[in-house]
Amino acid sequence: MRRQATRRFLLSAAVAAVAAGASLAALAATGGPGVPGADIGPASAPGSKLAPPADPVLNVPRPQPLRTSRYETTWATMKRPTPVRAAPRQAAPVVGHLARRTPEGTTNIALALDRAEDRQGSLWIRVRIPALPNNTTGWVPRSTLGGYGVVRTRLVVDLSERRLTLFRGSKRIFRAPIGVGTEEFPTPTGDFYVRNKLTQYRNAFYGPLAFGTSARSETLTDWPDGGFVGIHGTNQPGLIPGRVSHGCIRLRNEAIVRLARLLPIGTPLRIRA
Amino acid sequence: MTLHDFTDLRLDDLDRDGALRQAADDLEPTSRAGFLTIVAGGAAAAAALVRPSIASAALARTDVAILNYALTLEYLQDAFYTEAERKGALSGPTARLAGVVGAVERAHVKALRDVLGKQAVKRPFFDFRGVTEDPAGFTRTAVAFEDLGTAAYKGQAHRIKSPEVLAAAVGIHSVEARHAAWIRYIAGVPPAAEPFDQPKTVKETLQLVRATRFVVARPRTRSKRRPRFTG
Repeated sequence: MRRQATRRFLLSAAVAAVAAGASLAALAATGGPGVPGADIGPASAPGSKLAPPADPVLNVPRPQPLRTSRYETTWATMKRPTPVRAAPRQAAPVVGHLARRTPEGTTNIALALDRAEDRQGSLWIRVRIPALPNNTTGWVPRSTLGGYGVVRTRLVVDLSERRLTLFRGSKRIFRAPIGVGTEEFPTPTGDFYVRNKLTQYRNAFYGPLAFGTSARSETLTDWPDGGFVGIHGTNQPGLIPGRVSHGCIRLRNEAIVRLARLLPIGTPLRIRA
Repeated sequence: MTLHDFTDLRLDDLDRDGALRQAADDLEPTSRAGFLTIVAGGAAAAAALVRPSIASAALARTDVAILNYALTLEYLQDAFYTEAERKGALSGPTARLAGVVGAVERAHVKALRDVLGKQAVKRPFFDFRGVTEDPAGFTRTAVAFEDLGTAAYKGQAHRIKSPEVLAAAVGIHSVEARHAAWIRYIAGVPPAAEPFDQPKTVKETLQLVRATRFVVARPRTRSKRRPRFTG
């Protein structure tokens, strides 16, 4: 069927090409179709030239292949609340839930890690979710997710060195000392992501702005709104670096302001001991 | 649901920033008796981005609107092919087409943004609803997009004031037509089915774009709410 269609297509193209070639040859031989005012050859009357083609307003650059990077991370918005399952099928056990909104009222997002089709041909996406136990991943139907976003940044928090580092691709673009959780209320370790940005809330304790992450305290489980770990400023800069927080990652205010210019939502966060 | 099932046009759903509405308003034949002339790019910064031959020239307001209309469609195509290539679910000739056409659409976006400067409409947020990860859905959608792009460019040709803008539009229009023929061939439908191609108006084009529900509200990732993190 396809071969027949190919043959028909090629045959049509060949016929068209022959016809076009014949027309051009005829034009060349006769000096043109004799359109009044047209200057298409030496035989035309002088002083009756066609205007030259206009210079296009656009300067279209040479198309460049897509540059993908191993540092790219895809995140997806939540279109509707959904249970997260252990495998890409409706009957698989539920390992968590994803809400449409975060406790801060922003659009909830999840990192998209993998995809698979079930037996019915429906598409499932494996996502990292903001749930205890930390580092939980699971599967949701593609239809419950909205649009994708892509980032090339990654954030690394080193608890023992009390240091936060932001990379874009392989390049380090930001580094700052931090305050982290005390022994009693440790900052959780593992793989997480940045999911929102809070500003203008006027609370000196959190500094001028704060980022919400998908990491949750494993000790303060009854904390309001679920005990999420934030990355924020402080009104006690003298305590940084140190083990001073209830699990959050504190930066000096000038550092969090600089970080905010560089850190897109959806950036993966690795917290290591 | 197909692209042609949709009839209820609500421009606001497509145009969260209002820029496309302005462009469409400017393109209504009865809405502007005379065309205000403004400097392309709105400022010296924009002028620096355009070619020297037209940097100091003025673009009719209608031409700016048409270029923004074109840019919106190019954003849609750029995002569609780029996401499909990133997702890697396509193979063979379809994957090759996505790579080649995606690169071209990105070049169109860059060129249009450069010439519009600060007057360029913002890139919308897209939800392709899994179509970029489904080879059959991708092919059907790509046929619709390329046919639509070709018809949309044609629909504005008669309104373009500047020969330089017309030259640019015609240059892109024929490339879109080649893309349409290519993806139609892959899809097994006649690459050039009709002896005459009908143009599409702004309204018809936006109806079809909205029918896809691919253009969605940008996610709200910022809040002024007081943090309740563990501290």
